[in-house]
Amino acid sequence: MKKIILLNLLLVSALVVFASSNKETKVTEDKSSSWQIESEDGILPGVNPLKVEGDIISAGSSTVFPLSEAMAERFKDEGYAYNVTVDSIGSGAGFERFTVTGETDIANASRPIKEKEIAAANKIGRNPIEFRVGTDALAVTVSKSNTFVKDLTLEQLAKVFVSDKWSDVDASWPNEKILKFIPGTDSGTFDYFVEEVFKKDSAPLLSASNVQMSEDDNILVQGIAESPYGIGFFGFAYYVENKATLNILSIDGVKATKENVDAAKYPLARPLFIYSDAKIMKEKPQVAAFIAYYLTYVNEEITRVGYFPANDSVLEAGKQAWLEAMK
Amino acid sequence: MINPNYSESVMKRKITEGVIKVVLTICAVITVLVTIGIVVILGKESYLFFKDVSIVEFFTSTKWQPSIEQFGVLPLINSTLTTSFIAMLVAAPLGLCVAIYLSEYATKKTRSILKPILEILAGIPTVVYGYFALTFMTPFLRLVFGQHNVEVYNTASAGLVMGILILPLVSSITEDALSSVPNALREASYGLGGNKLQCTLTVVVPAAFSGIAAAFILGLSRAIGETMIVALAAGAGPNFTFNPFEAAETLTGYIVRISGGDVSYNTVDYNSIFALGLFLFVITLTLNIISRKIVQKFQEEYD
Amino acid sequence: MINLIFKTSTLFTLFVLFLLLANIVNDAFGYVAIVNTVDPHELVESGNLDSLSNNELIGILEKNLSKGLIRRYNFEEPLNKRTQKELVELVFNRVIEPRVAQSWNLITSIFHRGQINSEVQRDFPTATVQFRAWLNPDFLVNPQSSVPELAGIRTAILGSLLIICITVIFAFPLGVGTALYLEEYAKDNKISRLIQVNIYNLSGVPSIIYGLLGLTVFVRGMEPITSGAIFGFNDPSTANGRTILAAGLTLGILILPIIIINTQEALRAVPNSLRHAGYGIGASKWQVIWSHVLPNSMERILTGTILAVSRAIGETAPIVVIGASTFIAIDPSNIFSKFTTLPIQIYQWTARPQVEFRNVAAAAIIVLLILLLSMNTIAILLRNNISRKRSNG
Repeated sequence: MKKIILLNLLLVSALVVFASSNKETKVTEDKSSSWQIESEDGILPGVNPLKVEGDIISAGSSTVFPLSEAMAERFKDEGYAYNVTVDSIGSGAGFERFTVTGETDIANASRPIKEKEIAAANKIGRNPIEFRVGTDALAVTVSKSNTFVKDLTLEQLAKVFVSDKWSDVDASWPNEKILKFIPGTDSGTFDYFVEEVFKKDSAPLLSASNVQMSEDDNILVQGIAESPYGIGFFGFAYYVENKATLNILSIDGVKATKENVDAAKYPLARPLFIYSDAKIMKEKPQVAAFIAYYLTYVNEEITRVGYFPANDSVLEAGKQAWLEAMK
Repeated sequence: MINPNYSESVMKRKITEGVIKVVLTICAVITVLVTIGIVVILGKESYLFFKDVSIVEFFTSTKWQPSIEQFGVLPLINSTLTTSFIAMLVAAPLGLCVAIYLSEYATKKTRSILKPILEILAGIPTVVYGYFALTFMTPFLRLVFGQHNVEVYNTASAGLVMGILILPLVSSITEDALSSVPNALREASYGLGGNKLQCTLTVVVPAAFSGIAAAFILGLSRAIGETMIVALAAGAGPNFTFNPFEAAETLTGYIVRISGGDVSYNTVDYNSIFALGLFLFVITLTLNIISRKIVQKFQEEYD
Repeated sequence: MINLIFKTSTLFTLFVLFLLLANIVNDAFGYVAIVNTVDPHELVESGNLDSLSNNELIGILEKNLSKGLIRRYNFEEPLNKRTQKELVELVFNRVIEPRVAQSWNLITSIFHRGQINSEVQRDFPTATVQFRAWLNPDFLVNPQSSVPELAGIRTAILGSLLIICITVIFAFPLGVGTALYLEEYAKDNKISRLIQVNIYNLSGVPSIIYGLLGLTVFVRGMEPITSGAIFGFNDPSTANGRTILAAGLTLGILILPIIIINTQEALRAVPNSLRHAGYGIGASKWQVIWSHVLPNSMERILTGTILAVSRAIGETAPIVVIGASTFIAIDPSNIFSKFTTLPIQIYQWTARPQVEFRNVAAAAIIVLLILLLSMNTIAILLRNNISRKRSNG
């Protein structure tokens, strides 16, 4: 019996030691800029991830997730030795954690922040700063085994997502149920789709039949890929990652290509953002460093991830906002 | 001659004993606090939920979509019952047969091998069963019944695998019930010239009936509360359907989907998962109590 | 004839268990088609890296890798001080970067080798086909990654183990204490019966309800404690109760009733004569419990606890509800860290549509099952030890 008590005590003390060994993360003044090196782009200071200290917590859009994940992985790959968390929970929940509970340093979002979210943030002493990191072409996809639809007009698109059967939309299409796979109501993708396709009224989409919803786009991909009469939409990166099993539809005859997105021809192109706050960036230099790093190198990673670079002027605006915040 | 320290040491001892008793009592009280905690938390958030939502709508409407103020829980209940019913279709007959085999037919040696194997089956985490449902059962069903008839997420696959999950539970309780039937009853049956099968079916099983019923009810309760299998395989959208090959979200599936992605505090979505949690808690608690009452009664019969 | 049904049902159950395991093994091993991100022939004409000098290799690295990465490698050990072999390995892993383009399960790999070859020739003409065990030593020690073949479960294993430590530290004394109260102290009255009934009822509550309890009490209600903020661990502006501590406590409450019930059974198995003997020599109640009752029931108590803990290790739903992190690639450093666990990883990977993540999930399942199986074996050995002792004595 004594042995067991002893063992328990050992365990407890081990945990305490384990826990207290982490105290060194305390930030001291001189470390706040020690990560800065020669600038890469002539605007932001260069970042040496080896010298960045302290954890970074981010959460939000599942659309932005693959991009932030790639940037975080590169950051770590280049020597950042601490923890950067990227939670994929949807834009709305991401803003919630950033503006209401104040848990996160960075919010990932596939839609701009809303007025009431800014108000909530102000209440906890935060003033969200927007950084544009790229552009997504919302991908409307069907299974590879779907042979009858290649293109939809915006009107057809709206009709498909509220109709029961394919033949209801176009008589030449099969008399089969339309299985709809859509991102959850808390995602920026959902909000964006409702705004663009349904004129801001989500009720018809939500009350349609055979709707599967998930904040996890992987669940949608799997559903669409395996359903010959399924259709769904999500960030372009998820289509790129699953090209082998999905077909992407052109919208109003316009394909989602780099040219069409750059020329603003693709009707469902939308901006991707990360948000932070000047106070956090000053108090936690690792957050400032990561955002500077993100903005500097995002265009080297974004195409591989499956999104489209934002144009130079908006990217630069973000960089100026960074400088402004760090003043 | 009394040791002058004696009374002091008695005092010390008394104090120690007293302290220990208090500490242990506190431990026991904490377990009660857990239950109170569950009830208070679920109750409080549900109260907030039902301030906005009419209880009549909650139990009669067939549309569940809190973000557009549709609060009919029937589709979720319906699919929970569908998966649980399918699970029981697998677990009840199989569990009964396995229990009969173990209790009446198997040799001691076979039993000593089979029982640990069933324990292993019971010890496999549910997420592994979820994996099995999604990567084996669903493709299998689609192969047998056709891609067009079986959706990629469907309640049949989740239910069948859930049946396998609760089978060990059902069979082990059933077996306990069968083995506690007094041998005198069996011998009486043999005395009347019955063979083993007749004896089992006409004497042992009826005698253990209430115990078997308790096992089934407990299995059902477990199936209703099961989460990971339905979260992975049953689908992610409320759907009021009786077709087991269609996707339909269950109570637990909805709770885990909403809390896994977003728990926007103090929104109707957030409160709704607690209302569903309360509902789930009440159902499973009732089933468990019924099942235990039956077992108690059953034990009294033969004790 | 009907007799056969009973036996067949039992065999069928065994078959299903076999199928379950076979399905997992089937996904965890098999051929993969490997495609190089950069063709070695583009780097050197012969395609043979070994023939290059150190400087040429460093040149290739500097040309193909980002500045930051070169900086890190130089920081760890200057490139010009590395051996030729190390540099070749670096070029191979980072520049040529072989990646799995497609994978096949074990059964296809064994029986349809020819079909795999022709598919590869058609779809990936430059690919090589290799047999891959997704469960391999690297898998155990690598952190999580978005590339399936680099992904590992170290972070998840550490998360699971730390959580279990908290669970045991919390639930074991509390459970044993409650059992002692009920068996040794409480009189048979309404209150003790109420506590007993309550414990039975708790043991039947679906685990997801415990998740809701943990979310409200530990993650939100006790956030300053569970985030470590009041101990000065975290920046208060990012206090977050979704920590190992909160998860450990939630699982602790979940397995509490199981530990109590098992401990009660263990205590009941201690013969009363032992207690009377203790009182006979003038020992106090606690002395009897401490030096006679507990030592004599400890093996049983531990057996029950191990089984309860193995239940906790496999729990997924409550952990999802209290909010484990989806992507976390660094080891948890203390009990206030954010975390991921083995079952959470399995859940995440299973939900992914790409086949390679299925392979990774299957490998993780094997690790989880081996962990649980070894715990159960320990429990069974302990139990056999008890029955042997009993039959000897």
